[in-house]
Amino acid sequence: MEMDLGIHVKMHNNIGIIKLSGELDAYTSGRFREVMIETLENGCAHLVISLADVEYVDSSGLGALVGGLKRVSERKGRLVLVGARPQVRKVFEITGLEKVFPIYGTEQEAIEALEHFES
Amino acid sequence: MAKLEKAKEPDITIPEEFGLRDEVRFLKTEDIKLFRLLRESMNKIEPAYVATYPPSECGIATFTKDVVTSVAKYTPFSRPMVVAVRREHEIEPYERIVRFQIYKERHESYLEAARFLNDSYIDIVSVQHEYGIYGGPDGEYILDFLEALEKPAVATLHTVLQNPSPNQKRIIQEIVRLCDVSIVMVRVGRQILIDTYGVDPQKVTVIPHGVPNVHRVPAARVKRALGMADNSIISTFGLINRGKGIEYVIQAMPRIVEKHPNAIYLVLGETHPGVRKYEGETYRNMLTELVAQLGMEKHVRFNNRFLALDELVRYLCATDVYVTPYLNKDQITSGTLAYALGCGKAIVSTPYLYAEEVLADGRGLLVDFASPESIADAIIRILDDPKLKENLEAAAYRYGRRAAWFNVAVDYLGLFHRVLNRRRLAKELVESTQSMSDRQ
Repeated sequence: MEMDLGIHVKMHNNIGIIKLSGELDAYTSGRFREVMIETLENGCAHLVISLADVEYVDSSGLGALVGGLKRVSERKGRLVLVGARPQVRKVFEITGLEKVFPIYGTEQEAIEALEHFES
Repeated sequence: MAKLEKAKEPDITIPEEFGLRDEVRFLKTEDIKLFRLLRESMNKIEPAYVATYPPSECGIATFTKDVVTSVAKYTPFSRPMVVAVRREHEIEPYERIVRFQIYKERHESYLEAARFLNDSYIDIVSVQHEYGIYGGPDGEYILDFLEALEKPAVATLHTVLQNPSPNQKRIIQEIVRLCDVSIVMVRVGRQILIDTYGVDPQKVTVIPHGVPNVHRVPAARVKRALGMADNSIISTFGLINRGKGIEYVIQAMPRIVEKHPNAIYLVLGETHPGVRKYEGETYRNMLTELVAQLGMEKHVRFNNRFLALDELVRYLCATDVYVTPYLNKDQITSGTLAYALGCGKAIVSTPYLYAEEVLADGRGLLVDFASPESIADAIIRILDDPKLKENLEAAAYRYGRRAAWFNVAVDYLGLFHRVLNRRRLAKELVESTQSMSDRQ
């Protein structure tokens, strides 16, 4: 099966920024889980997940995000999202997960919010 | 005639999901604080579904299970239930999600079901409609159920006839009136409801037929796994009956084989149980005889059994050209065509209403009804032209992704919430008007 998810990781201090592109679903969410774990094990306390280039998220993708939130919470950190497209944002609104995952317009806004949280 | 052998070990599978519901169940023991946060934050909705349900063998039962399962994945704190419509002779047990059974031909059973739901924790009722699955003339007992139901309801209309009988027309009009919203799967269905049935356009919405979540995979790889590496595979699947027009594809095969000697037509699926009951395997036997008359024994294979989803998807992934040669112009839904779109297949179809709409804009080739010549032309065109085939596949896949069950589930869930919000606002308006008039 083709793996239709691009994953790009970078670090900003103790914030791991994971930029996704494509589809976050049953085929691809396992790899995404692994990347979140690796990023946290590399010393990050917080995660910024950019969904700006994600076309679809299914319940496996949501499950992976909740799993990521659990791991981040164990480190007293936070997990925030950036730039969901309308189709993706709708999934968060309809499930109510928008109340659990703050969604910021840009990566910079997300980083500033996390730095503010730290201070 | 060669029987299709059971597929060898596959090199593709639809992955097991570890979704939101699984993650939440896990949190209940691993992180109760996060579990509680989710429980308090997530939207709650308690849907019930009224329809046929597996193990009943029919397209509506499969569809219902797909909707129930897909929506439940996004609502980890809800307890969905099914009210299953069954025939008297069906004795196989249902899954636990079936909490009440309507006996198709017993009128009082419909009223009991409505009372059961009225007294339950259910917020909203989703009814699947197809004339044949309910009792009474043209399945009109469903109207008595809806009349007695006090919960908000939405109906999915699987059949919208262009030329209905007066009673068929009345039933659809009443369903639309009694339900908060009715769903059809293509725009043309909505237009027919407005033009022919005169229903309120505000009460009809379009949500596509869902398809399995299948990522594209090169057909050659799957063909190898099926032991058909050198064949051009043409296929049709689903419950077999006379309206499918399979004989016209069989008649097209000699011309196709002349140009593509390794072409094979796979007819996947058993005879519709309802059809088998009154005419046995007459239609299939006729097809088998036709194959023999045409000397196509090596080029047409039947697989007369129910295929599990994984197996079905495997055959679809191996397919070069998928064909729906159906004969009924009015057909506004086809689960099998939707699945072929979801798997990104090059599709050839007769122009029944559903096919005409979903295969527009280069997503497939339309052929004349009951025309072996037209079918042969289109299939040969695709097999001769890899670029055309690739373009058709890519366009079908793009369309199919939007209709993946995980997206369709969000559409259903969004509709359920809209209906409940509208009801709540209406209730509040009535209460505030009442309160104002009480004060005056």
